[in-house]
Amino acid sequence: MMNPISIILIKVLFVFILGTAALIIMQKSLRSLFSIYAIQSLLMAFVSLVLFKETGSFVLLALAVLTVVTKVIIIPYMLNRVRKDSGIHHDAEFRYLTPVSAIIIGMALIFVIYSSFLRVFQLSQDNLFFLGSVIGVSLAMLGMLVIFSRKKIVTKAVGYLMMENGVLLFGVFIAELPFIIELFIIVDLVIFILLAAVLSMGIDSTEEDLTRKLNNLTKWFKQ
Amino acid sequence: MFLFAIGVGLCLLSALICVVNTRRDNSITRKAALWLTIAACLIFVSEGARTALNNQPLQYSFSQIAPQLQFSFSIDRLAAFFILVISIVALSVAIYSLRYIEASTSGIRRNLFVPLMNVFILSMLCFVASANSFAQLLFWELISLSSFILVMYHYEKEETRKAGIFYFIMTQMSTIFLMLGFILLYNATGSFTIASSPVLTAGTNTLVFIFLFCGFGIKAGIIPFHKWLPYAHSSSPSNISALMSGVMIKVAIYGLVRYVLFVLDPQLWWGILILIAGTISALLGVIYALKEHDIKRLLAYHSIENIGIILIGLGLYIIFDSYGLSDLAFLSLAASLFHTLNHAIFKSLLFLTAGSVVEETGTRDIEKMGGLVKTMPITASLFLIGALSISALPPFNGFVSELMIFQAFFQAFAIPSHYVIVLLVVCLSLFALTSALAAACFVKAFGVIFLAMPRSDTVQQAHEVPKSMLIGPALLAFLCVGLGIFSFQIFSWLGYQPPMPNLLWVSLSLFIFLGLTVILVRAASGHVTRRAETWACGMPTPDSHSEYTAAGFSEPILTFFKPIYKTDKVIERNFWDKYGAVFKSGRADIHVMKIFEEKLYIPVANAIRSISRKVSAAQNVDLDTFILYSFITVIILIIVAGWVL
Amino acid sequence: MASFAVYFVLNTVFVLAVSPLFMGLIKIVKAQMQGRRGPPLLQIYFNLLKLFKKERVVSLNSSFITLISPYINIIFILAASLCVPLVFIPAANYGFGNVILFLYLMVMAKFFMALGGLDAGSSFGGMGSSREMTISAIFEPVVIIVVSALVFVLNTFNIHQMFATTLGSSVLTNATLFLTAAALFIILITETSRVPVDNPETHLELTMVHEAMILESSGPNLALMELSHAIKSTLLMALLINILVPWGLAASVTPLNLLIGMLTFLLKGSILAIFMAVFESVMAKSRLFGLRTFFILAFALAFVTIVFELLV
Repeated sequence: MMNPISIILIKVLFVFILGTAALIIMQKSLRSLFSIYAIQSLLMAFVSLVLFKETGSFVLLALAVLTVVTKVIIIPYMLNRVRKDSGIHHDAEFRYLTPVSAIIIGMALIFVIYSSFLRVFQLSQDNLFFLGSVIGVSLAMLGMLVIFSRKKIVTKAVGYLMMENGVLLFGVFIAELPFIIELFIIVDLVIFILLAAVLSMGIDSTEEDLTRKLNNLTKWFKQ
Repeated sequence: MFLFAIGVGLCLLSALICVVNTRRDNSITRKAALWLTIAACLIFVSEGARTALNNQPLQYSFSQIAPQLQFSFSIDRLAAFFILVISIVALSVAIYSLRYIEASTSGIRRNLFVPLMNVFILSMLCFVASANSFAQLLFWELISLSSFILVMYHYEKEETRKAGIFYFIMTQMSTIFLMLGFILLYNATGSFTIASSPVLTAGTNTLVFIFLFCGFGIKAGIIPFHKWLPYAHSSSPSNISALMSGVMIKVAIYGLVRYVLFVLDPQLWWGILILIAGTISALLGVIYALKEHDIKRLLAYHSIENIGIILIGLGLYIIFDSYGLSDLAFLSLAASLFHTLNHAIFKSLLFLTAGSVVEETGTRDIEKMGGLVKTMPITASLFLIGALSISALPPFNGFVSELMIFQAFFQAFAIPSHYVIVLLVVCLSLFALTSALAAACFVKAFGVIFLAMPRSDTVQQAHEVPKSMLIGPALLAFLCVGLGIFSFQIFSWLGYQPPMPNLLWVSLSLFIFLGLTVILVRAASGHVTRRAETWACGMPTPDSHSEYTAAGFSEPILTFFKPIYKTDKVIERNFWDKYGAVFKSGRADIHVMKIFEEKLYIPVANAIRSISRKVSAAQNVDLDTFILYSFITVIILIIVAGWVL
Repeated sequence: MASFAVYFVLNTVFVLAVSPLFMGLIKIVKAQMQGRRGPPLLQIYFNLLKLFKKERVVSLNSSFITLISPYINIIFILAASLCVPLVFIPAANYGFGNVILFLYLMVMAKFFMALGGLDAGSSFGGMGSSREMTISAIFEPVVIIVVSALVFVLNTFNIHQMFATTLGSSVLTNATLFLTAAALFIILITETSRVPVDNPETHLELTMVHEAMILESSGPNLALMELSHAIKSTLLMALLINILVPWGLAASVTPLNLLIGMLTFLLKGSILAIFMAVFESVMAKSRLFGLRTFFILAFALAFVTIVFELLV
């Protein structure tokens, strides 16, 4: 049985994590976007820390440290450097969804995931772990929502990163840890590619530009 | 029952006086007839109140007209309550009409007004009192017919004719649905009597509910069946609008409550359906009201909103009841019925005072009004009381019923199903939005009609209306305040202790604070008041063009809800120079799409028209072919009767 | 009865006395943040006294609405103040404290303030009224959701009993309270017309909402309006404070308890006021139509909180 204070702490952290997800969905200023991502990752680290305190598993501590180092410090720093280099500070383009409708859909999404999981797990799980898995999947889905509703690649990258946070959360609460690390790597690779694309083509590039450039590459192979 | 009969007799007598005298334009007969109506209404009010308090059902039945068919009446507490609602509004409308009929129109047409109004009121009363569905259907048709003729009162206007026909078609559709429902019930039970919870199969139960919901829903103006309501209410004479909006749509609510509560076996999903329909009606009603600049149409849309609120209460009742939460269910039902009474009162008050304004200014467009508070102070104050009640502000009556609905919503967490809780939370937030938007709308309505400077010349000529046109609404305004402040006492008197604050103490404290503030301010200040011109950024004399208009007032809300309105903004600007710096001339339009008309009504109408064209092609033939049709029909009947049955 | 009578007098006098103080404190802290010295702490009291003594100038176009709306404002806000105990919780509350009553008493005041804005026929007043009613309408769902969370968690409709419950237990036992407190802070900012919703400093027509409505008020009328605004602000602060950190709120009426109650409230209120001033200084005024995003965010937070706290 967990310490009640820890349960409350984790619940509060969950709501704040969802809050940061909502902010990422609608934030137009890139600088704030990156800071919010950093905050979200920090909250994730706190979740791991609280769980570490409860379970004593050092993997969780390592995870927390790793999260702080990479996602709170390194990735936001890199993203910010790109932003400064390119001189572009805003992504105000939305596709399919406006920020307001995206949030409403996000809320509906969370509830759908919640009720579907309720059926799957039949509430046999500990409530907190159940909630953690719901938030994890919701976060991943919200990340996907960011990916398709924002135009600039750098915002999409933040969406991917958020998805990864969701997967991590899901893994911490439900799945086995090796499984997470595997996903961790896959998702990280995707991000790496995207970041590379951003670095090479500038922040202003949208997906169409990327596809066009890749299409140019295919000419070399056709002959 | 005897007194009720006297009341009915008085009403009929008053109708008769006028009918006998149709040929002569004689205001004395009309007034005498109206006085008789007033007397009858007084009887109904006292009898209705007595029966509602005593809780002893009254029964009366005429001799049989046909086998299994008799005109029987039964007045239980629910019916008595609705009789009270109808007769209170009818009383004040009759008082108001004493002068309104004389002032508003001319000619011998006025002689028909009183009898029709009496028939209208009587048929509503009889509908409520009827104990069998056959009689109900008959009175339902009478309500429709009499109100249709009254809507067509100014038939020389194109707009009125269109509204009247629209109204008539919709009301006939409602009758068809009701007829289907009643026939199904008759088939299942074998009698037209409104029996309490007869044994029905699940299918019949559901089907009857759907038919009755549609039938009563059309008359009540539930979205998407609401479109006739703003047209009919705005083009009929104001006292009739008050009756229609205040009472007639409540009769439909009565029908729904009667059948859902006493006859059918409510299911959870009915509650959810009614709740959702109510929430949508409430929200869209008020959102459409906000963009309206025709005062009567604005009020009509608010009727849709309030019907929505009543339905929310009813829906909550069914939902809580199906989970066995009887305290909450009763609270919701009480809220719903109390809101029915409140809405009848404040909406009639608003329609009557708006009628006075329209009468004096000769226009329904609020953009042309303004400053009327100086020329019509009493009417303005009465309208203000109505506006405060409909905006659900304490300590007026509208607040009490909305408070009860809020409290019922707040206890939604007692329900075991998560889905239902989330639904209720969503509906709760939309309901809150509705009530706040209503307040915004009435700040606009009162502010633009009565405050600041007149926006047109005719408005400046307006003056206060005669006494009877003030006494009628004043009665209702008095009830608005009384039912609010003494709500707790009234409920206790009826034997129900609702979990709500006693507004008497609140009012008392307000009174104490008012006294203290006035004394302190008088003592502290030099109580000098100087009048000066409104500051207008140094412009010479500010005139009515610098005022905020109704369109301007609601523009931010329109922008916020753009996806709902489907507004279309067109801005054209011409400049003196090519850089677009010096403004030359321009034009800006905001068009609002009529979604329901364009997307629902017209397609349905077109489909029906194409079907009827085919049918009429088969019908448009000579006599021989008709006889052939009959021949074939008879043969088919014989075959069916012989072999199939 | 006696307890309530004491409460009636004490709560009213206390709220009247301390409200301008918090407003003054916010002004000073904001000025300090901007590198100015700011007015003396008690300046607002002197301003109010001065306004009460001055003559009343009303527009030629105005009607009785202008004359009554300041009075309606102050009496309804004072009635609302009875719903929120600042110093001690009376034994009986006579229906005061119903949370919906509390909200709608404040809406009543707002209704008349908006009418007062339209009465003079100035376009500024109309603009202010229009915006105020718009903001309050679209903000209402957030308020109700937050309130329903409070009602559920504390299991009562009555603010007095809510405070009694929070006084009896620690906030740490309930995560929802902590989160609703965040939402209550957003309500506090919005309802008291502060940045990013409104800018209380400005008189520029493009940004003002609350100030535009009372532009035509003068003398005692203006004083009453300012005072009721200050009281409203204090009430919402008190709601937040006594839900989150009710320590010091007196449960029984003894002079010592009352003194402690007053002092602790002053202390907690000052801290919150300073926090509000800092928050306001670091925020930028939002576009009117940009508020939509701000509100939907608040709504989403409150909604998610409810869904997770109440269902799991």
